[in-house]
Amino acid sequence: MSDAVAGPVDWVRTLRIQFRVLGALILREMSTRFGRENLGYLWLFAEPLMLGTAIGALHHATGHFLPGGLHVVFFWVTGYVPFYMFRSVVNRAPTAVVANQSLLYHRRITLLDILLSRNLLEGGAVMGTLAIFLAAFGMWLDIWPKQPALVVLGMMGMLAVSNGLALMLAAGAIYTDLVDRVVHLITYITMPFTGAFFMVFWLPTDMQRQALWIPTVHCFEIIRRGLFGTEVPTTFDVGYTVTWAIGLNLVGLLMLRVARRRLVV
Amino acid sequence: MIRLENVHKSYKLHGGSSKAVLRGVSAIFGKGEAVGILGRNGAGKSTLLRLISGVEFPEAGHIQRQMTISWPLGHAAAMHYSISGADNARFIARIYEKPIAETVEFVEDFAELGQYYRQPVRTYSSGMMTRLSLALSLAVDFECYLLDEVVAAGDSRFAERCRAALLDRRARSTMLMVSHQPETVRAFCTSGAVLKDGRLTRYEDLDQAIAAYHAA
Repeated sequence: MSDAVAGPVDWVRTLRIQFRVLGALILREMSTRFGRENLGYLWLFAEPLMLGTAIGALHHATGHFLPGGLHVVFFWVTGYVPFYMFRSVVNRAPTAVVANQSLLYHRRITLLDILLSRNLLEGGAVMGTLAIFLAAFGMWLDIWPKQPALVVLGMMGMLAVSNGLALMLAAGAIYTDLVDRVVHLITYITMPFTGAFFMVFWLPTDMQRQALWIPTVHCFEIIRRGLFGTEVPTTFDVGYTVTWAIGLNLVGLLMLRVARRRLVV
Repeated sequence: MIRLENVHKSYKLHGGSSKAVLRGVSAIFGKGEAVGILGRNGAGKSTLLRLISGVEFPEAGHIQRQMTISWPLGHAAAMHYSISGADNARFIARIYEKPIAETVEFVEDFAELGQYYRQPVRTYSSGMMTRLSLALSLAVDFECYLLDEVVAAGDSRFAERCRAALLDRRARSTMLMVSHQPETVRAFCTSGAVLKDGRLTRYEDLDQAIAAYHAA
């Protein structure tokens, strides 16, 4: 805390502390959420794996036809897994501050650190799960992603959008419990609109335009372009998604900053 | 140095009204000072420590900190209940850039939790939590310690060790202790202050502070 260190050195130090804090928080989050009992940290992957498998099995059993001749199980699982990430990041945000506010006694830890570490962990786990599913589909069905980089890009966009929403919800929850009460309802009701379970080209032209207002729809289209290539038409705008992601995160940061001042620990 | 400038804090009560706890606290705490802050129950002692530690923010006024400051010791703050004491020590070591193995060992020795050290903190008694909290903060080696009286009160063997450890730090650290018992403060502090009606009055001489506290 001396004034002797200044200039670029400070930056390096600040960044190093930032990464240390995030790393420590991620490790701590892993042990608080999963402990060392039974499967331990493997639960991180187990939950989305089991849910994804269940969704896949369900649609395999009902076996309806999808436009564009897409493989039913492949389509539903690769739609559900990114949605799972979105939902768990957003749903867990309102309780993030209450559950972790004792960490704020360490001046190096900020609300942003707390949220970011949780969301990065969630994102990493779900991306790992998606990789496992894609490898399994490759071996089982011989369907391999056409452009894996686009899948990663779409997932990162989804995580960034979810993170921005999470910051806003966490800030709102500092003011009122209502946020936690309604967020689960809202993620449930909006599920059909996120783009997880439809493709834009299935829709009539008018509805396509409306669907493309929603940033998560773009994320899903990017992911599907990465998965299916040009086998089916996809519509998305990377710039639009990035703009939303930046906007949501900036507003979230601002809200968090205001809410932090009135947080009672 | 820690400088408080016209610090105000009030809390919202149920029903919409609010209670002003601190109404314009100004003070400077310099390096190496050991200040006993005396105040009755509800005078705002813990609030003052929370604001100085930075976990809560003042509504108005400024707090400037030019040293590393511990979390308020004596409460079960700054720990994680669902993980073990040893995991808390690992976490602290990572956050504050301390060697992990040594930190875990130091905390184990100092806190004397026995086999509870490897059990979740939520299974601890409040005395055990206080011990763990203090051991963790000593492992970090802060420049300023915020102490609640409970840390050093009592006549158990652990209280004795706490006093020894804190007196040892006093030579090189700043210490702010809040208490409603002048005797506890006398054992540690060289100067005093009285917190009353949301304001803080500093006294160079501890006896003066204690006399003012009794008079109030």
